[in-house]
Amino acid sequence: MNRQRTHFPDLAFGGFLILLAIVALVEIRNLSIGTAADMGPGYVPRALACVIMGFGLVVAGRGFFAERRLLPAVKPRPILSVLISLAVFALLLPRGGLALATLATMACATFATPDYKWRESVLFAVIITVFTVLLFISALGLPLSIWPR
Amino acid sequence: MEVFNNLALGFSTAFSLQNLLFCLFGVVVGTLVGVLPGISPLNTTAMLLPFTFGLAPTSAMIMLAGIFYGAQYGGSTTAILVNVPGETSAVVTCLDGYQMARQGRAGHALAIAAIASFFAGCVATVVIALLSMPLAALAIKFTAPEYFSLLVMGLIAAVVLAHGSPFKAIAMVLVGILMGLVGIDVNSGVPRLSFGIPDIADGMDFVPVVVGLFGIGEVAANLEIPQDRSILTGKIKNLMPRWADFKEAFPAILRGTGVGTILGILPGGGAALPPFAAYALEKKVSRDPSLFGKGVIQGVASPEAANNAGAQTSFIPLLTMGIPTNPLMALMIGALMIQGIQPGPSMIREQPTLYWGLVASMWIGNLMLVVINLPLVGIWVSLLKIPYRLLFPAIILFCCIGAYASTNSVFSVWLMLFWGALGYFFNKVGVHPAPMVLGFVLGPILEENFRRAMLLSGGDPMIFVQRPISATLLVVSAVLLMILIFPAIRAKREQALQE
Repeated sequence: MNRQRTHFPDLAFGGFLILLAIVALVEIRNLSIGTAADMGPGYVPRALACVIMGFGLVVAGRGFFAERRLLPAVKPRPILSVLISLAVFALLLPRGGLALATLATMACATFATPDYKWRESVLFAVIITVFTVLLFISALGLPLSIWPR
Repeated sequence: MEVFNNLALGFSTAFSLQNLLFCLFGVVVGTLVGVLPGISPLNTTAMLLPFTFGLAPTSAMIMLAGIFYGAQYGGSTTAILVNVPGETSAVVTCLDGYQMARQGRAGHALAIAAIASFFAGCVATVVIALLSMPLAALAIKFTAPEYFSLLVMGLIAAVVLAHGSPFKAIAMVLVGILMGLVGIDVNSGVPRLSFGIPDIADGMDFVPVVVGLFGIGEVAANLEIPQDRSILTGKIKNLMPRWADFKEAFPAILRGTGVGTILGILPGGGAALPPFAAYALEKKVSRDPSLFGKGVIQGVASPEAANNAGAQTSFIPLLTMGIPTNPLMALMIGALMIQGIQPGPSMIREQPTLYWGLVASMWIGNLMLVVINLPLVGIWVSLLKIPYRLLFPAIILFCCIGAYASTNSVFSVWLMLFWGALGYFFNKVGVHPAPMVLGFVLGPILEENFRRAMLLSGGDPMIFVQRPISATLLVVSAVLLMILIFPAIRAKREQALQE
């Protein structure tokens, strides 16, 4: 048999499960377990983490010996733009106000695909910003400032 | 008859001007997201969830429910006209609906789809009204062990009916339960798994988690696939179906409604599975199965009836037992909890106006949808001309505002970022996050009932099999697990899910 091994998606998912279980076990190491009749706060989470660890080992193990499949290609541009636009929103909103945060978020998100058109996107972003401010502050009364303070 | 009194109460609630408006708003938004691919009722509901804080609970539920079943109508419109399923539940409608449109029978297909959906919606409303009282009466006898077993059965059933590897789906349920336990332990007051972050000491807020997974994660994954749409031009005419069409379609509508109603009630059901099952059934009972996929009216009527019936009856387990059968129902629980209402068997008695108002609003909403969809179909189709490159920045923005508004803190946006990245990872490794969301919502209730049951029995796990109801539920769960393990049945399941 000369077929290539390792199903990378399964290996990655199994690895994720194992990592999650370890992180959880470390975080709750000081919680009391208690007894089956009177469980402490650590009983159920610890049991769960151990089972998840088991699942992780099986998935990763099977993935290691399964027929080769590579992870689907990750295009960095869309996912990074999307995540950055969230971060920009979170950073700008408290001090910069809703209008600025909205514009900046829309701008970052727009760059996620290469096929944006400048004029169209700018126009649309301005329309959405006006709409957002009217809807969320004027109509729904969210406690936010519109402009930087 | 008690049912009639209850329905009368429901209709008087639903017919108030405010509730009618929210119902209309819900179904219009639902149709909109149904038409637009890339926005699902799930992430729309999640985005709108924070804005229901200020509403009366009844209005909030009526609106959110409207989005869900409205999306089933909207999804079929684009499936028929453009061969693009606006929703997963409309994938099957593409097969014969689009073929009918190409043969110049788009109007007939749309009309039959609307009639089928409306008929199914009416039947499902009656089924909800009839079934909920006895089910709630049964569920109210449940104590901790029965609840635990019921939740276990629900989660396992959800795994059985989900797409993809059941083994990994179970792992995802467990991950969800663990994530759901983050926060202060109710019994001891000790914070757990919160890593000393004060913002999650009370548990992770539901909205950022779900919006991150389904809104952000999906948008990011969608962006990697090139978007192309070809719009079927030309006017849509002949909206009135011919009598012959109707006669041919009616038995199919009946069968689809039956399939949808039953599958909707089952945990893990909802709107996505029933149309596939209904289409498979139509093919089986047809005298000439080879015609399917070439534009037969039954291939449109039955799945459309099924998805709408399923969308509505999936409310039954939620409303009578407090158990969500799909992620959208999990969001509904979130919405109710935000309003301070614990969904469960006592809800029908304690909140009769909410309960019956919601049921009645479904019927009204279905009527509205027929009106919204048929004469206005042109408007919805023209919306498809908005390119995705303009749409998605707005989706991301509304996700951000929704997450922020759920807690009035930017921490929620960071939390959403984390879950969005996780959702993207799950997409890449080919695991669906839906079972995790169910685990996330049910986790705390599951642990609570487990601990209470074990306290009752003095630490003896036999309590779960000694109680008759609990034992029955566990036997059903075991049978479901067997289905997963036995290869022959499993192959059939794969086949059914693939068709």
